[in-house]
Amino acid sequence: MIPTQHVLILSAVLFTTGVLGVMLRRNVIVIFMSIELMLNAVNLSFVAFARALDSMTGIIFIFFIIVVAAAEAVVGLSIILSIYRNQKTLNVDEFNWLKW
Amino acid sequence: MLMLPELIVIAAGFIILLLDLFLAEEKKNILGTLAFAGLLIALGRTLFSFGQQGELFGGRFVVDSVAIWFKIIFLLAGMTTVALSWDRLTGKTTDIASRMKHRGEFYTILLFSTAGMMYLISSRDLVTLYISLELSTIPLFVLVAWDRDNPLCGEAGLKYVILGALSSAVLLYGLGILYGLSGSTDLATISQKITHSPALWLSVAMITAGIGFKLTLVPFHMWAADVYQGAPTPVTAHLSVASKAAGMAFIFLLFYRVLGGAFQEWNILFAVLATITMTLGNLVAIIQQNIKRFMAFSAISQAGYLIMGFLGPFPEGLPSMLFYLYAYIFTNLVVFAVIIFYANETGRENIDDYRGLSRTNPIIAGAMMLGLFSLAGIPPLSGFVGKFFLFSVASKAGFHWLVGVAAINSTISLYYYLRIVRQMYIEPTMEDATTLQISPMLAGTIAITTLGAVFFGIIPFFYETINQTVAASDWWSVITATAR
Repeated sequence: MIPTQHVLILSAVLFTTGVLGVMLRRNVIVIFMSIELMLNAVNLSFVAFARALDSMTGIIFIFFIIVVAAAEAVVGLSIILSIYRNQKTLNVDEFNWLKW
Repeated sequence: MLMLPELIVIAAGFIILLLDLFLAEEKKNILGTLAFAGLLIALGRTLFSFGQQGELFGGRFVVDSVAIWFKIIFLLAGMTTVALSWDRLTGKTTDIASRMKHRGEFYTILLFSTAGMMYLISSRDLVTLYISLELSTIPLFVLVAWDRDNPLCGEAGLKYVILGALSSAVLLYGLGILYGLSGSTDLATISQKITHSPALWLSVAMITAGIGFKLTLVPFHMWAADVYQGAPTPVTAHLSVASKAAGMAFIFLLFYRVLGGAFQEWNILFAVLATITMTLGNLVAIIQQNIKRFMAFSAISQAGYLIMGFLGPFPEGLPSMLFYLYAYIFTNLVVFAVIIFYANETGRENIDDYRGLSRTNPIIAGAMMLGLFSLAGIPPLSGFVGKFFLFSVASKAGFHWLVGVAAINSTISLYYYLRIVRQMYIEPTMEDATTLQISPMLAGTIAITTLGAVFFGIIPFFYETINQTVAASDWWSVITATAR
């Protein structure tokens, strides 16, 4: 059996990868993928905790997180779509009409 | 029927969504009336349930007086937003660009968001807390990006959805650690089981970052200015009051209920956050030209004052915070109602464009001036009384330096609020200026919110009522047990 610490470290690494992806990548779709990666890293940590604590609530929480992630993706992708119709670009560096 | 207000709001949302499919375009005015009526009935039902306490679903949904006070704020904010968006959605504005389409969906999404906020303050479990937070936030992403032909709107929506999803993921990681440390998702159990450990600090840091985003605490405020400017103005008004109140509700649940046992240490965290938030918000607001951006930074600095209510483990903190929240929503909505009125009629949104408003529309300019003075904290308006209570909480908690910083910040804020008053009263009128016609809906909103902003400060019984009803809830015993 894999020790809980190892799973938690993997989850932390995945989460950090997601954060770095959001900060460094320039394509909106890839940024959204990174956010999904962060949410899945959280799911992994919930699984690890639930197994270590032998409790079901953590597992149940994950179902809700998956649903919320899907809802967030729906809203996010439709906003991206409507922006793409107007601008014909998905590079975040070009979304800069709003500034000081 | 403890959950009745929430169910009414959700039912109204679904009814509007269905009716929207069948009604002819010219009959759709009834949708706005329905949305307003639904919120009004829910508000009546909430007011009627004062003094009741109870729980549903094995203690996962609890109604007490604190929850009721917060629910009234959310419902009032929702009703005001319906009123403020009325002219734009019915196409009665002089400025064609500021009209909004798809009103059926607009009201539905607004009502769902309101219901999410109402569930949020009643939650006593990490799962319901997270779900209701997302139910309140995800509809707001849609509302911000409402006008899909306007590139500014789309950009604001995109920034909001990316940063919002990022912050909710960070928050969720913090909640996960909390679950791992305590082995439970029930808030009461967590508060008994947690002990000081580095993992707890990591969890608190991540929760603070996630919720700091909603509250626009510096350094998590970067989205606010762009989103406030790009979003349709009624949505901006809704964001600046309802979303902020939801953030306060979340902080109250997590930091007062869960981490209350070890509260003394969080004081310094909140004091530092309050200091940098109000200072940066104020300093950047001075140089703004666009009035919506200006209000964004004003709202950031107000968030800095608001979290001063969380200093100290004694019972005065929460009533002061609630009172200021009420004063703040009324005052802020006065200013936004005037901004919406002016943009509806002229399409102008810059601070310079307000010059001479006192001569073309003296009553509206007077209401705006009262609102701005109340935000700056000039006696006897409600903003002053609210700040007085909050500052006394900070000083009672031993943060005298913070009171000094906050007083200096209030003075700075008076400078930039007076910039608008100067434009309205001293600068010459614009060449093409004529007296602008105000619609009955906006006139009523401005009148009611102005009365609220003025009388909350003058009538002392309001703070007393909050104090007494809050003292009767179970939250009180948690705090007094900690203080002893």
